[in-house]
Amino acid sequence: MKSRRTSLWHRLGSINLTIVLCIVLTMDLIWGYFCLERKTPIFTPLNDMGLWAWSKTYGLYNLQHTGWFFLLLVLLTAFSLNTFVCTTNRVQQLFASRRGGGQWLGKLAPHVMHYALIVILLGYLCSYLFTDVLTGRTLVPGSSLSLPDTGGTVSLLAYEPDYYHGKRLAFFDDAVITARFRLQLDDGNSQREAVLSCTRPVRFQGYSLHLKNFAPKKKGGMNRKTRVDLSIRKDPGVGIYLVGMGLFSLGLLLYFFDWVMIREKHSS
Amino acid sequence: MTDPARITLQLAALFYLAAFVVSWPVSTKRFVFPFLFFAALGCNSFTIYSRYMQSWPMLPMHLGALALPLCLALMLAFLGGLRAFTHWFVLRLGLLLCVALIVVALLFPKDFYLPFLKSKTYLSHAFLWFALFAKGACAISALWALSAWPFATALPENIRPLTALKHSLGWAALGFGLWTISMFCGELWCYLGWGTPVVWQDPALTLTLAGWFFYACVLHLHLTKSWNLQLRAAFIGFGGLVVLAMSCLPDFGPFRPVVLP
Repeated sequence: MKSRRTSLWHRLGSINLTIVLCIVLTMDLIWGYFCLERKTPIFTPLNDMGLWAWSKTYGLYNLQHTGWFFLLLVLLTAFSLNTFVCTTNRVQQLFASRRGGGQWLGKLAPHVMHYALIVILLGYLCSYLFTDVLTGRTLVPGSSLSLPDTGGTVSLLAYEPDYYHGKRLAFFDDAVITARFRLQLDDGNSQREAVLSCTRPVRFQGYSLHLKNFAPKKKGGMNRKTRVDLSIRKDPGVGIYLVGMGLFSLGLLLYFFDWVMIREKHSS
Repeated sequence: MTDPARITLQLAALFYLAAFVVSWPVSTKRFVFPFLFFAALGCNSFTIYSRYMQSWPMLPMHLGALALPLCLALMLAFLGGLRAFTHWFVLRLGLLLCVALIVVALLFPKDFYLPFLKSKTYLSHAFLWFALFAKGACAISALWALSAWPFATALPENIRPLTALKHSLGWAALGFGLWTISMFCGELWCYLGWGTPVVWQDPALTLTLAGWFFYACVLHLHLTKSWNLQLRAAFIGFGGLVVLAMSCLPDFGPFRPVVLP
């Protein structure tokens, strides 16, 4: 029984399996491109609904277009398992024969990247399974909305746009080039102000507020009333995949340091 | 259409082609190669500069097909030691690739999309340029592998194919690193702009990920040497070019005949 388990463990960690999985993943993702290009609206709700609800509705009812995605999930699970087993085996060997500071660190670099990849994928899974999304939240000046289970409220104080004036971007003449919304965040005890813009979300009470759409986008013209549409998310996966990305970058840095400084020195 | 960017792109294709022609050993005009090469680089750079000027500080849309030849040519310029046959082989194939990319970009342009406000962040520009240089490095890796492949059995002692594959590994590792940084920049941009790690409205993301997995496979193949040399060279060479061609697909639009200036 034990030997069968050991054999399974070694097969699961086989580098040939890694190669096969990488090739199949590449082909599956190319297939995915054509499905996604033709049927983008099927996949758009995935970010707001989460993986589970999306799979039960859009996913299962459009299997001819979403099959690649379910296969991707299976392949990524297998790839994560394979990476974990393979890396763990090698790290054990590496620790057993540990000597030489810089060189040892260089050898550890690929394993840091492998573990980091698993952390990133776990972060994504967490993000798509457990994120609370509040959609369709719109603020106009003076209005406010409350964040569930926190007692926090968000109000829109002012819209402070920058308009583009010039000839270089002809299509942007008199259009908003920077949209800034000044928000008041009230947690029940204290108040503070924050600025929300297109690529600058606001974090408050565990939620992140992202700008989805806004009006007006041009000076004058239709003279539409000021409004900002928000995407409000409580995403427990963000921290995990950001840590994973940091770890992967560290591994990459160590690997190139090892490559340039140590291996090149040895070969010369 | 008298768009200067389009004219300089056509000129860049002509200069790349002329540089390819004079690069052959039988050519008596080989001394003009650097002039033609740098003229092509200049024209291509002007095209990119011109497209950037029409959208900065936002990201120019679908710039990839026009900027990839520039990144590839810049990286080819760093090949060094141009006397060796394999270097010239790689250089020539690289120049042909530049011409092919520009011709396809001219025939299937996708220059009708306006830039959007959410691309006004350094992360979007980093995402684009790291990806372009990554693809340039991966293309050179594929070309090195191709330079090894046809001679693998014909050459004595198999020295040259091994050296070529070693070069291929170096470029693939560089490409993989840059590709990863580009993906991280893209993911951070997605989070800041949309609050999610992936924007499903853009199908190109799947091809980016496909390229990343392909090069992860290439690195594992190189490191384990589990396939024989010829098979590895063919896989990395032809497979790499197919994956790179696929990753350029989203940057091409509908057919439009070329109008000469």
